[in-house]
Amino acid sequence: MKILIADDSRVMRQIVIRTLRQAGFGDHDLIEAANGREAVEMTKSENPDLVLSDWNMPEMSGIEALRQLRAAGNDVKFGFVTSESTDEMKEQAEAAGALFFIVKPFSAERFDEVFAPILG
Amino acid sequence: MSVEVEVNENDLAEMVEQVWESYLDPEGVSPLMQTYDENQASEVHSSVSITGSWTGHVVYASSQQAARRAAAAFLAMAPDEVSEEDLSDVLGELANIIGGNVKAMLPPGALLSLPQVVLAPETTARYPNTQRITGVYGMWDGEPVSISMWQSRGDNKEGAE
Repeated sequence: MKILIADDSRVMRQIVIRTLRQAGFGDHDLIEAANGREAVEMTKSENPDLVLSDWNMPEMSGIEALRQLRAAGNDVKFGFVTSESTDEMKEQAEAAGALFFIVKPFSAERFDEVFAPILG
Repeated sequence: MSVEVEVNENDLAEMVEQVWESYLDPEGVSPLMQTYDENQASEVHSSVSITGSWTGHVVYASSQQAARRAAAAFLAMAPDEVSEEDLSDVLGELANIIGGNVKAMLPPGALLSLPQVVLAPETTARYPNTQRITGVYGMWDGEPVSISMWQSRGDNKEGAE
């Protein structure tokens, strides 16, 4: 499976990748995007099976990226990994078609709980 | 218009503890030891602004050495391998994570900015019309680290100097 990680922080992308490995998902093909716009473009060009996206990013936010993808008819599995987690954001995410919402700081156990059903 | 702040020192300390457990001290061997000294020195700092239901800033400040150590812990590398870019990125992410968690405790309708990083002491920062309302101040392996919240005064219109 191919997983796209979208976060404007290179350090956070590395931590997400490390945590995926710790949770036992390191064998998947991992690709990176630095903002929402790149995430949309790479989702279209690279066709990942799953997108893990930050919310607050320059150029385009994660929620805008998700909405653009859905508006374009793309139904890639998409979820958020973000330091922000208000009820209104979770509602917006769900309404836009997000599958999960992981809050930073996160643990390998949390990744396992969320991704085991998705990645098998 | 700002509401009464609903985040206190204990809440902030709990968020900070989670960051240490998750990233900076996963083995639980070097926690942040609180000094309660709000005037402790810093050499670098990062901040995020929150606007809306509460308006103000969340600021992370530390010594250069503590920032380097934090970056090394985040990136799983030796402190002397940390570049200035790594250091800035990690400082920004620390402000973002704590700011995001603070935002989650505020009433609906708050917006979080992208982080700003300044490789200079916190005392060089000026947040007009704000006052510090709470903070966690401590030493991490002998190096100063602080996290503080600065609230904009409610009687000032946003953007007014």
